[in-house]
Amino acid sequence: MTVAFAFLAGMTLVSAFGVVLSRNVVHSALFMSGSFLAVAGFFVMLNAPALAAFQVLIYVGAVTVVILFGIMFTQRPQARRYRTIVNRQGWWGFFVAAGVGTFLAYVLANEDWGSTAAGNGPRDVGAFGHDLLGVSAGSEIFVLLFEVASVLLLVAIVAAIVVSRRKTGEGIDREVRE
Amino acid sequence: MPPMPLVPPLVQQLIDLLVAAPPLEGYLVVGAILFAIGAWGALVRRNAVVVFMCVELMINGVNLTLVAFADYLPNAGGLGASYAVLVIAIAAAEIAVGLAIVLAVFRTRRTVNVDEVTSMRG
Repeated sequence: MTVAFAFLAGMTLVSAFGVVLSRNVVHSALFMSGSFLAVAGFFVMLNAPALAAFQVLIYVGAVTVVILFGIMFTQRPQARRYRTIVNRQGWWGFFVAAGVGTFLAYVLANEDWGSTAAGNGPRDVGAFGHDLLGVSAGSEIFVLLFEVASVLLLVAIVAAIVVSRRKTGEGIDREVRE
Repeated sequence: MPPMPLVPPLVQQLIDLLVAAPPLEGYLVVGAILFAIGAWGALVRRNAVVVFMCVELMINGVNLTLVAFADYLPNAGGLGASYAVLVIAIAAAEIAVGLAIVLAVFRTRRTVNVDEVTSMRG
């Protein structure tokens, strides 16, 4: 478990640094996919295999593909030359983020969490489904959250179509330069 | 007499160390560092698509923390994993709407550089 933890932690953090520091946007997207995959491995270690499956399906699959489509649509060929990828606040941003990370890690590592023991997670997928639908004791709020999330997804689909579609009569607004 | 151990005690100690579950703080620190890296990228990168990727990294850090709590705290009842499912759904909705906005901005402004889109600057 320690070996797996060290491997997954290294993969997560190195890939996250790759997302921030990679000059090529496509490389950033692939690094992000690797980071998500390592987090899915963490979910398996934390007794949530169904959640790991969701993570792989939604993040490693869907979100990465959608972001790659976004890159494909928004990166013009003449914009691919190397230009500074980091804005003027690069070092200040690094110091602020390092401070936030150090503070969070310090607080989380020094807090007294009481008696902690691994193995309380919903390893049984049936119990996990009961939690998610608010059937089991103590999780009654989740039936409401589940329905709200479904409505939110529907609204998001409609909003994405409305925001990104071409208006009628707008015509071709991308001059073809090939 | 007790049976002979199969492996020497030192090796057995090493094996016990390697198969022991890592402490809760390990997961929490990894989640915090992932959140910080995502925050750094969201602050300093110019490309709006990369900013979205870094926001996703921050969301993953929080999800990792939630699931670690659900597995390690006895009174949590394992509900953190259910919250993580809801967070994933909301993040998926956010990425769909956000990329649609990026596409719309690119169509009108011909750029996705967040430093150049300043029409709402006061």
